[in-house]
Amino acid sequence: MQNKQQQQSDKVLVIGGGMGGIRTALDLAEAEKKVILVDKAYAIGGLMTQLDRTFPTNNCDLCTLSPGLSEGSRQEYIELLTMTSVKDVKGKKGNFTVSLETAPRYINLDKCTACGECHKKFPECVRFTPGLDHRAPTCMRYPQATPQAFSIDLAKCTDVEALMKSCPAGAINPDDMGRKREVTCGSIVFSPGGALFDPSYLDYLGYAAQADVVTSLEYERILSASGPTMGQLVRPSNGKKPKRVAWIQCIGSRGLQKGAGKHCSSACCMFALKEAIVTKERFQDDIETTIFYMDMRTMGKDYELYYLRAKNEFGVRFVRSRPHSILRENGAENLTLTYSSEESGANQTEEFDMVVLSTGFRVADDVKELAGKLGLELNAGSFPKTDAFNPVATSVPGIYVAGVIQAPKDIPETMVQASAAACMAGNDLGVVEKVEHEKELLPLETGVVGEEPRVGVFICDCGENIGAVVDAAALAEFAKTLPHVALAELKGHGCSRESMQQIQQAIKDEKLNRVVIGGCSPRTHEVKFQEVIRKAGLNKYLVEIANIRDQATWVHANNPAKATEKAKDLVRMAVGSVVRSQPLADHSLPMNKNVLVVGGGVTGMTTALQLADQGLKVYLAEKSAQLGGVAVKIRKTLEKGDVQAFVKDLVARTEAHANIQVIPRALIVDHSGMPGMFKTGMQTGKQMFYRQIEHGVTILATGAKPNRPAQYLLGESAAVSTQLDLQNFLEEQPEAVKSWDNVVMIQCVGSRTADNPNCSRICCQTAVKNALRIRELNPDARIFVLYRDMRTYGFQEEYYQKARELGVIFTRYSLDNPPRVEATGDMVDVTFTDLILGRTLTVSADHLCLSTGMVADEDSNNELAMIFKLPRTADGYFLEDHVKLRPVDLQVPGFFVAGTAHAPKLISESVAQALAVASRARTMLAKDSINLGARAARVDKNSCAACLICVRSCPFAIPFINADGYSEIDPAKCHGCGMCASACPAKAIQLMQFEDDRILAKLEELFERNFA
Amino acid sequence: MENFEPVIVAFCCHYCAYTAADMAGSQRLAYPANVKIIRVPCSSKVDALHLVKAFEKGADGVYVAGCLEGDCHFKNGNMRAARLVESVQKYLEEIGIERERLEMVMMSAGMGYRFAQVATEMTEKIRKLGPSSIHVALVGRESTLQPAGII
Repeated sequence: MQNKQQQQSDKVLVIGGGMGGIRTALDLAEAEKKVILVDKAYAIGGLMTQLDRTFPTNNCDLCTLSPGLSEGSRQEYIELLTMTSVKDVKGKKGNFTVSLETAPRYINLDKCTACGECHKKFPECVRFTPGLDHRAPTCMRYPQATPQAFSIDLAKCTDVEALMKSCPAGAINPDDMGRKREVTCGSIVFSPGGALFDPSYLDYLGYAAQADVVTSLEYERILSASGPTMGQLVRPSNGKKPKRVAWIQCIGSRGLQKGAGKHCSSACCMFALKEAIVTKERFQDDIETTIFYMDMRTMGKDYELYYLRAKNEFGVRFVRSRPHSILRENGAENLTLTYSSEESGANQTEEFDMVVLSTGFRVADDVKELAGKLGLELNAGSFPKTDAFNPVATSVPGIYVAGVIQAPKDIPETMVQASAAACMAGNDLGVVEKVEHEKELLPLETGVVGEEPRVGVFICDCGENIGAVVDAAALAEFAKTLPHVALAELKGHGCSRESMQQIQQAIKDEKLNRVVIGGCSPRTHEVKFQEVIRKAGLNKYLVEIANIRDQATWVHANNPAKATEKAKDLVRMAVGSVVRSQPLADHSLPMNKNVLVVGGGVTGMTTALQLADQGLKVYLAEKSAQLGGVAVKIRKTLEKGDVQAFVKDLVARTEAHANIQVIPRALIVDHSGMPGMFKTGMQTGKQMFYRQIEHGVTILATGAKPNRPAQYLLGESAAVSTQLDLQNFLEEQPEAVKSWDNVVMIQCVGSRTADNPNCSRICCQTAVKNALRIRELNPDARIFVLYRDMRTYGFQEEYYQKARELGVIFTRYSLDNPPRVEATGDMVDVTFTDLILGRTLTVSADHLCLSTGMVADEDSNNELAMIFKLPRTADGYFLEDHVKLRPVDLQVPGFFVAGTAHAPKLISESVAQALAVASRARTMLAKDSINLGARAARVDKNSCAACLICVRSCPFAIPFINADGYSEIDPAKCHGCGMCASACPAKAIQLMQFEDDRILAKLEELFERNFA
Repeated sequence: MENFEPVIVAFCCHYCAYTAADMAGSQRLAYPANVKIIRVPCSSKVDALHLVKAFEKGADGVYVAGCLEGDCHFKNGNMRAARLVESVQKYLEEIGIERERLEMVMMSAGMGYRFAQVATEMTEKIRKLGPSSIHVALVGRESTLQPAGII
């Protein structure tokens, strides 16, 4: 055993450096595991780097993720190999040998400063791929590219010597031969992403012939500030602004066109909504946006609200139709779209200036080939096969998938799978003795106390986010006029690696001792910039961020003059405050590595087992007497996986695990402490004994409740059930089903309505699953599914198509004309309007089944949110920290959420989240101490009168009067709220980072402008 | 005092109100630019001194924004802040400043729309009330200059 472990490699190979691959690599590195990240492109970031903005926040998420890669502390664990492809894979789990081939870049990465001189002089020799016109303003793939370096296409270069001379850094090396090498790794994460369907050969769409017909990704490039038109929305044919733009959904998806995949691509509906909203945001009523669609599939968390906003707030027009053709009449300027709408049925034509094709995902040919080399079993669409109960594991042990390659999906789900894959891949590594890594040597902190403040102000334009509303250059000029400001500069993206280096250089060159960043929110970027200035030799608390994006340009875009005035105020306030900042030291405490998992369903048990297997002590608190949760009531998955057997196995392993302590009938009653040292009190067992648990992280896996709204005779007629009841009935009384003539299912009961606006996500596939089962039992039964939009995303689409082929009748109804039901003896009469026939029909149903979906468990979530201080969505689910990039991290550090406590989802998706939180928790628990920061109350003993007001005001009873007769506050115990500081009548207490003089300075500066 | 543009200070707690303000940003929910946010770790960090100082400097309105009742990350900081606001309101009245110019509001981190709504309502209310008497006095004192606050 000992021997075997020594043979195991201690590295994970991640293939593909898109959003998913980056997340996997970062998770593993933060958990102190070694990673080799390979990408065939010359900069990582994948598809995401070509997007202008992402839904639903409509901001550029790359700015949030990419700085993470440049962090030195993580680089010691991540070896990044760009322009590298995988040639061969040998060996097995624990010990793979992989042949890699790196193509020549002809640029020495260590020397290149990405100054752009080579591209200026020899644009044809420098590689650039994303977008429409192959020449964007910069030939870096995107402004925050990693690695921050160009790439030369030597074949296109006629004068190599002149090209070499153009580089001031001498970084161009025409003799670069590339490199072949073999690496060993214990496990492999395969996340090459998806390719997009190419509609060129479908002549009726006019894509190849008409410049104004673009794909959704090309449209994205047109909108992007770093795209070929610098963010100007213009028609490719004539450079004029379009007045009418149409989107056509499902191009290359749902088996619609020749060569299209059978699956639904899952992300395109949201993608089109986002593009339409961004277009509307920029031009309001000057532009008309129309989306042609079959089913609007907005099944993600709060996505339905986004859809409703597009429709109701932004006035995006929706036409349920599959257009027949896109043509341009001879000599005409506009495109003519021919379609038949649901209402009229007849063909009609309409003119548009631009048409966007929402092209779906497919597996690229080279990826398919690589999957073959890895030995992966593939499905009909060439996606690697996975199992619903282990959604990131492939047919080959030790090889995991994440992202679009597993099944078409959007960014948040990709991030979840990326963390899940990191969890699984990390498990396969040999046990590594933890070695004390040499800490990156930080320069000594420059003394600033008593020195005259010299403030450097750096203003970001953040692409269009700030720069399109306020004149960022003028704002930087304004900052120069402020007292103590030694330097003020404009930075494109202050968070790009290049800008961060420039800021550090400026600190050294200009002897700056304070820094102000005018940019986004300190909530997301304060830590980043603290790190930047610390590396330049300044104490990290000498920086302040003026939030001119989230709290000025984003909210005052309609009034640039006022936004500019406010941005000036915010910068002035930040400068006034930062000159009063003082160097502070962080406090730290040892990390408690125990984990509390709340909720003993599939999600909670899966997470607990993963963490326990890694040697962590897990307390699994379950409010009921048994483990299993809602899954206990589910028989089969859509793919016919046996849920009962799966749950039984989970329960048995959880109960038997030495590192897991299951606490049944647990009611959480109190909670205190901070990340890494929480204390949670609970009453347990029948006697409700109180016990307290000390733990470092908390994972919420509390699930959701099956909904049972009292509608459509549910609970009144024996012939009416929910889908959950029905699937049990189908197994328990199959004979009864055989006598049914008519079965009706009604979708969206209690979901997508005014009082519960979101989609429950699972019901469409449940209806298809149960309809198929009824078909099996009784091939003669007529089955009607009354739906609003069929949301069988991903590979579920194939089951939906199968159900249609087998004669299940899918009929749409609209929210303003729902089906009507009437009990007639043992039967139920269901009356509905068939929109295509234009007739009202009544079906006398033997059984009426309602797709009631899920709702948040209001009672327990409300209680837990109060005790743990966690924010929730309007519909009662826990609100994650970042809906796209940190989907399982909660806003309070040390808290994570997984499963249906996050939003309605399938078992496979809950398992993926369960694995993901295990990975996220490990990134935190890998550390031995907790940094408490410096925000603590400090007492000036000379001013303290020992009046006890602080002792009484502190909510955590930290201050006490010490032997010397003044108040003492232990900074390691202080929570940093500042209550004592505001209560102290002598002002003897100051809260570090939020000292009174800094708050008052902000007021002074704010009113300086107004009254001076 | 036509086209009076009030200056309003919002002390926002980091965990809820400040996050809600960012949320309003990411959802692009417009609100008047008159509201200027000062971030504090907890609404209870706001001191009578800060509130009074804001009015002394010429603020036309001030509000403290904390977490919803029961949601405070420091147990009861928001309730303490609410009590403080109430006592400062009384004091303001004594010195001739309408109590309505100071308010305590509560919201959760997810309530971007509520942040925008509060900012809009507060601005409208103060616009109706007109400039604060200190604002008027400051303008009088500096009558040779045209302050940007009143156009």
